[in-house]
Amino acid sequence: MDALDWALLVARVVAVFAALLVAVMLTIWFERKVIADFQTRTGPLRAGPRGILITLADGIKLFFKEGILPAMVDRPVYLIAPVIAMLPAFLAFAVVPFGTSVTLFGREVPFQVADLNVGILWILAMTSMGVYAVVLAGWASGSNYPLLGAVRSSAQMISYEVGMGLAIVAVLTYSGELSMTGVIEAQSRVWNVIPQFPAFVVFLIGGLAETNRPPFDLAEAESELVAGFHTEYSGIRFAMFFLGEYLNTVTVAAVATTLFLGGWRGPWFDGFAPWLGPLLWFVVKVVAVLYVFVLIRATLPRMRYDRLMNFGWKVLIPFGLVWVLLTGAVVVLPQEIGRRGVLLAGAAVLGLVLLASFVAPLVQRRREVAS
Amino acid sequence: MLSEYLPIAILAALALLFAVGSLVASGLLRPHRPTPVKLSAYECGNDPVRLPRGERFSIRFYVVAMLFIIFDIETIFLFPWAVAARELALFGLIEIAVFIALVFVAYVYVWKKGGLDWAGGSLTPIEAEAASEAPGPREEVGIRAG
Repeated sequence: MDALDWALLVARVVAVFAALLVAVMLTIWFERKVIADFQTRTGPLRAGPRGILITLADGIKLFFKEGILPAMVDRPVYLIAPVIAMLPAFLAFAVVPFGTSVTLFGREVPFQVADLNVGILWILAMTSMGVYAVVLAGWASGSNYPLLGAVRSSAQMISYEVGMGLAIVAVLTYSGELSMTGVIEAQSRVWNVIPQFPAFVVFLIGGLAETNRPPFDLAEAESELVAGFHTEYSGIRFAMFFLGEYLNTVTVAAVATTLFLGGWRGPWFDGFAPWLGPLLWFVVKVVAVLYVFVLIRATLPRMRYDRLMNFGWKVLIPFGLVWVLLTGAVVVLPQEIGRRGVLLAGAAVLGLVLLASFVAPLVQRRREVAS
Repeated sequence: MLSEYLPIAILAALALLFAVGSLVASGLLRPHRPTPVKLSAYECGNDPVRLPRGERFSIRFYVVAMLFIIFDIETIFLFPWAVAARELALFGLIEIAVFIALVFVAYVYVWKKGGLDWAGGSLTPIEAEAASEAPGPREEVGIRAG
């Protein structure tokens, strides 16, 4: 690597970093505007055209606010927790390809921070780190509401992580690739969202729960826990939790785009700025997923905690396991027994299930009559 | 290759710099006027009755944590198979089906034992067992009546 390579590398990373910050800024504004539309309000208007700078204004305000360090906190952990909330959120995005590549000064610059061969595992690893921030923040605050919020939301996050992981396993089985570029490559004919639609739904639900977004925002259920794990945080430290949360939301949307919606794939004019099209397509798809997130937030009420846990453990996990096995069968069996064999076997299984669903109520009725 | 991680290391350094930098800069610029009331634990304006240091919370959270480990490791074990599913072919599929079935048995057991029931209306089997073993007040009444 010579000086130019280094300069391009650093410039690329700085550009992604800055773009992520701007993306978070715009996402928060977007969410507030869309929710305002749903509730026939105007939403933010004053800062910048159509209030687009509202997040920046909020950030500056929080920056100059007094940062209260409550008396009963565990100092080092309390101070480190906001940083832990933010770091993995940035790092998770590193493996997401947001376009193809562009040639600058005779060097090819890929539109991705790092193309790790374990891309998806990296994302799982980084998103699970988010739990630490929540637990440490809640525990170190030495106060009741934060502790309750932290314990609750850590249980929620780990529960839904399993379901999300299973959805990812299904996608991997289907594409046979672990790197993010490989997964996009595998979607050149048809996007994963069509053959893997159930996994897509499971992934979105798991992603919403992982990022503590409504209807799974029990970590900060303001009606019962004030603000959950960050109740005792103020000023810039609170701003970091907020930033981390929205970064995670953007990352989940970007990962959903990559795994299920074909990533940067989309039609584009031949010969005209070949790098621009994929980038635009990627942004459009991510915004579409984010819009769905906001739509869900505006539509659904917050879930009750016991229902949330029941749904995660009794519906999402068994469904994910079955779907993984089914995907495996669909991938493997055609090479073994041919397509016709798979169809016959599938028909046989379906027939058995139907038969069982007819017989089971009869048996149950007989048992009820007997008793 | 470790050099693949170089851009990530740069990104991590940048993010850390941003975080620490803004914390320090804000610390220098913001006002600092603590009062005892501000520094007390937030409890909607009341004096906090008790602080959670050393406080205990529901055992269910521990159960969830343990179950999570089982299923998360199961998921992690599924990853290598998922990538090599085509090469491993039928052998791999059957093998992984056996593996999932084994964990599923444990899952069904936990479900039946009530480990997955979050505080609902009814008692979990474990609690019901404990309740039936303990001498309840109703039985005493029955004995007296008899």
